[in-house]
Amino acid sequence: MATEKKVEEEPRIGVYVCHCGLNIAGTVNCEEVARFAAALPHVIVAKDTRYACSDQGQELIKNDIKEHNFSRVVVASCSPRLHEPTFRKACEEAGLNKYLFEMANIREHCSWVHLHDKEAATEKAKDLVRAAVAKVALLEPAIETEVPILREALVIGGGVAGIQAALDLADTGYKVYLVEREPSIGGRMAQIDKTFPTMDCSICILAPKMSDVGHHPNIELLTNSEVQEVKGYIGNFKVKVLKKPRYVTDDCSACNDCSEVCPVTAPNEFDIGLATRKAIYTPFAQAVPSTYIIDREICLNKEGVMACDKCIKACERLAIDFDMKPETLELEVGTIIVATGADVYDPSSLLNYGYTHYPNVLTSLEFERLINAGGPSGGNLIRPSDMKIPESVAFIQCIGSRSKKGNFYCSNVCCMNTIKDSLLIKEHWPDVKIYVFYVDIRAVGKGFEDLYRRAKEEGVIFIRGLPAEVIEDRKTNNLWIIGENTLQKELYKVKTDMVILSVGIEPCHDSNVIQRLFTLSRTPDGFFMEAHPKFRPVDAPTGGVFLAGCAESPKDIKDSVTQASAAAARAGILMAQGKVTVEAITPEPIPENCTVCGLCARVCPYNAIVVDKERKLVEVIEAACVGCGTCGAECQFDALHMRHFTNAQILAQIDALTEEDADKKIIAFCCNWCAYAGADFAGVSRMQYPPNVRIIRTMCSGRVSPKFVEHAFARGAGAVLVAGCHPGDCHYIDANFQTQKRVERLWKKMERLGVDKERLQLLWASAAEGERFASKVRGMEATLNKLTPEELENSKKGFVGS
Amino acid sequence: MKPMLIPKEIREKTKYCFECGICTASCPMVELLSTHYNPRSLLQKVLTEPEKTLNDNRLWLCAWCYKCYKRCPQGLKLPEIFQLLKSEAAKRGLSNGFEEAVAIIEENVPFPVICWYTCFHPERAEVGDEKITEALEKLAAQRMQAKKKETATGHKGKVAIIGSGPAGLTAACELAEKGYSATIFEALPEAGGMLRKSMPEYRLPRKALESEIQCLKDLGVEIRTNTRIGKDISFDELWRDGYKAVFVGVGAHKSRKLGIEGEELEGVIDALGFLWKVNMQQKVSLGKKVGVIGGGNVAVDAARTALRQGAKEVVILYRRSREEMPANPWGVMEAEKESVKIEFLVAPKRILKKEGRAEGLECIKMKLGELDETGRKKPMPIEGSEFSLELDTIIVAIGETTETTFLPKEVEVDRGNRILVNPITMETSMTGVFAGGDTVTGPATVIEAILAGKRAACSINQYLTEIEEKEERNRGD
Repeated sequence: MATEKKVEEEPRIGVYVCHCGLNIAGTVNCEEVARFAAALPHVIVAKDTRYACSDQGQELIKNDIKEHNFSRVVVASCSPRLHEPTFRKACEEAGLNKYLFEMANIREHCSWVHLHDKEAATEKAKDLVRAAVAKVALLEPAIETEVPILREALVIGGGVAGIQAALDLADTGYKVYLVEREPSIGGRMAQIDKTFPTMDCSICILAPKMSDVGHHPNIELLTNSEVQEVKGYIGNFKVKVLKKPRYVTDDCSACNDCSEVCPVTAPNEFDIGLATRKAIYTPFAQAVPSTYIIDREICLNKEGVMACDKCIKACERLAIDFDMKPETLELEVGTIIVATGADVYDPSSLLNYGYTHYPNVLTSLEFERLINAGGPSGGNLIRPSDMKIPESVAFIQCIGSRSKKGNFYCSNVCCMNTIKDSLLIKEHWPDVKIYVFYVDIRAVGKGFEDLYRRAKEEGVIFIRGLPAEVIEDRKTNNLWIIGENTLQKELYKVKTDMVILSVGIEPCHDSNVIQRLFTLSRTPDGFFMEAHPKFRPVDAPTGGVFLAGCAESPKDIKDSVTQASAAAARAGILMAQGKVTVEAITPEPIPENCTVCGLCARVCPYNAIVVDKERKLVEVIEAACVGCGTCGAECQFDALHMRHFTNAQILAQIDALTEEDADKKIIAFCCNWCAYAGADFAGVSRMQYPPNVRIIRTMCSGRVSPKFVEHAFARGAGAVLVAGCHPGDCHYIDANFQTQKRVERLWKKMERLGVDKERLQLLWASAAEGERFASKVRGMEATLNKLTPEELENSKKGFVGS
Repeated sequence: MKPMLIPKEIREKTKYCFECGICTASCPMVELLSTHYNPRSLLQKVLTEPEKTLNDNRLWLCAWCYKCYKRCPQGLKLPEIFQLLKSEAAKRGLSNGFEEAVAIIEENVPFPVICWYTCFHPERAEVGDEKITEALEKLAAQRMQAKKKETATGHKGKVAIIGSGPAGLTAACELAEKGYSATIFEALPEAGGMLRKSMPEYRLPRKALESEIQCLKDLGVEIRTNTRIGKDISFDELWRDGYKAVFVGVGAHKSRKLGIEGEELEGVIDALGFLWKVNMQQKVSLGKKVGVIGGGNVAVDAARTALRQGAKEVVILYRRSREEMPANPWGVMEAEKESVKIEFLVAPKRILKKEGRAEGLECIKMKLGELDETGRKKPMPIEGSEFSLELDTIIVAIGETTETTFLPKEVEVDRGNRILVNPITMETSMTGVFAGGDTVTGPATVIEAILAGKRAACSINQYLTEIEEKEERNRGD
């Protein structure tokens, strides 16, 4: 690329091949790779080292930089998503610009996924090092710009996690917006009667916190509100929140006069339909805000015609206002905490347990309301069919958990919840016989085993073996429970008055909406994925966004609170710093090549490119650009210099990877956020796939210019894979739509040239879909195997010079 | 290295068994054989010591009803896992397990010959026809002898059995063995119920059925054919005739209607009627292309029978996907091997007409939505996805219901016309009236009907014994 900026002086490269103990060295012959690297162009020194990331490892690199006057450094070790910052810092400390460093991922993408093929893994590692060396030679020094971080935070979800996070941040001194969809904050914890293992009254310990939120000078509470749009980036988010009308003003004193006269009743959601509420209501006594709300869906005045004015007349404080309109608030915040909580599993589809068919079969959440003093029965455990206190109660565990029919994962809290519930019954009605049908009791937590022991001491009968069937005696509404006691190897047939299905926890039914709003990732379970499972467990992959509570995974109250405080601390650190540096990966226009066609501006998802046709100028707005590179891929004239991912650099990588046995290789372009992370995930999970794939990282699949693919084919590559985030999950809004368009155009071209279209594949794989990535590679192996020399020749010729 | 007994993918799946015991508690064979059979522990043995299971007779005691699979939280197909072991055993010539199983079944399972064909399917493990025939002949012979020895006197009182399907036959047999005088009332000219009416010959040879019914007659059970309760005799007359208890096992013989345009046309037939005609050796002309609508066992039987009747192309149209299909998965697989095609997610919209007869079917493609009240994903039509199929005959097999109009009002039925019973005692809402089989469960397997008959016989015995004791006490007073 003659037009690209040339590196003036001869580069002096140092290469370090990390053993990572036996993680890499157990599969890859690191000494051999280092020897191979030493012979590559511009490489002054190549060494293998036991742990490159350790202090000694870093010292070695630093000393070498000074001693050998390196102008560039390559470390072949783990994923750059893990240790790139570490090594960049080391380079900086040795006086080398951190943008003159490159990593070769020979652990997640090589040693861990080819555990049983040492030879091929070593060859692949050499290839990856060769590509890194080729790229590093062309890297350019850069200075990062600093972006200020707004010292205001947004917390989404007013359950216990959201409450804790909001309070922690507000107490630290930051302004917090707490957005809750329901009329009151409190979430699931407000519905629960007691908490385990201490048997504290749930609402008694939560209500003061709710009240603190309501009164905190630093917290602006937005209930009955939903986030509609999120724009911007770390430190500078612009969020649109829809505040739905309550039709009751803040003058409301919560006297309940309106509710008493209201003629319309509906099931109360807070009591899971076990009790009723009016059209004007407050969900529960301790609600915050205490202001009432009118459910216009059922209110007689729903059509806008005033058919009933009973509440207006009853309200002495004139707090009712049917003219309230929805408002859209535009917030500007620096950090965001997602604490949107979870749903419970609906067991209606498990026909053999008869939920919804038999009145005395309830879920554990319904049970919480039933035994709660503020609940529909005033805390009396009564069975719905005859309002009598049952003589025996059976709990069935793992409902919708650890099952192909519900969710595969263990819901974490149900075992302890059942044990707590059984003790609650024993506390009030010691004579009630209690059975717990389980497969494994999981009492892993502080004080949990004690509680389990107590339940056993109190005479709760634990039977190992899930019921096959619950049968109702139609005359008495009693229930027969039939199953196998798997410890005794005998069938049991137990008669009880009531059955409680211990239902599991599920991701919120609309967590996909939140996922899209914040470009988060979800694990196959549907819960939000953290940036790193060990070291960044509350950070979302999107900068400035943090996770807390059951939105991230099923957890109990203590864990939710712990995580919320952690998220608040993480957000607080950012805001305390007040600024963040952004990677120097934005494009620089090259005016002499530019025809001012404006295509780059058209594909930019952030409107960060301004085209001035009059002055024949293209300008990049640094603050708005996030460096996805889709403009660079669109430009036909090499008029955009994509810093750190330049055409020349990527083409050099392709050249390096296709130098030997190109026809046996898949050149894969993976986006940093989803596909590359997914391949990392495959590595961490040790999913094995054929060692034929060579991954080139770009920030977005939108960076993949058609010429990269064509170049790879021209160089004789057997196959090419372009992989990015699922449509709609793109970390650059919709840049991957361009990817799709470009790949489709390439397919057409291949068709025209008579080249097998199978050889170019497009894959959408999230950061959690390691298996999806691995099986794609496995599948493409077949394409490689059936390649004929004619086919290869054809594609080489077809794409040369294009 | 030893050859791997269980294919890798199944081994991978079975690792997830966490021994909840649902399979064992759902299995009809566990109830029939009590402690002898336990699919959960058998699976564990398969997983830990596959070699040792090869000679285990329990492998051969699975009745292929797939009830375990339907409820297993992990969706494990135990019958098919056991099948692999059985095939391996047969391949290695290990026959101890098989032979022991024959003896166990002979002793514990009512109508073992019928069950061999309809439930246990040793032929699937390729044991060899000779061996199976030999075992069966021995079994039948032993059975005849054993039954003749028993003296059924009928001194304990009269019980009426309505319907001579597997449930009714079992109830009669069990009661007769206990000393009751059981009379079976059958509306059709011959006994057997669905076994005779719709079970294709390839699944149950008539000879086997005849021999078992003969056994029953030898026991002293009277079978009154051509006698329809509610027409030839009223239900109340049974009490007047001195029957102390009644068992209702009339099955589910009423075919559901599609409710679409053109259903009355020539060339549209219901599956049960079709199977019956074939079983009666009547010729049914189907033409070349046959479409079967439905996804149950009857649909699969009809499709396979249509092939045997000379149809060139048979396609089953089912509105959900394979996973939701109620038919026995193995039976489906066999049908597909015989070249029956199955179109999933397709529903009929209207029957196309030409010169007064059906010439095809307009269908619409479906997609699956949320779970419905049956716990399966609800099929929903995809607008504008209509397409036509040219068909010479359309066989409707979308489910069967029970005819219950002959029953007194005291016997409660549900909205689907199924008789409501206490599933443990099989007692209906009317004292002295018991019910079981398809008439309670809707279309199900032979083994489930047999189990229901057995359960009911037990309860009837208990019920009548209690009455007798009471009467005796009264007399004593």
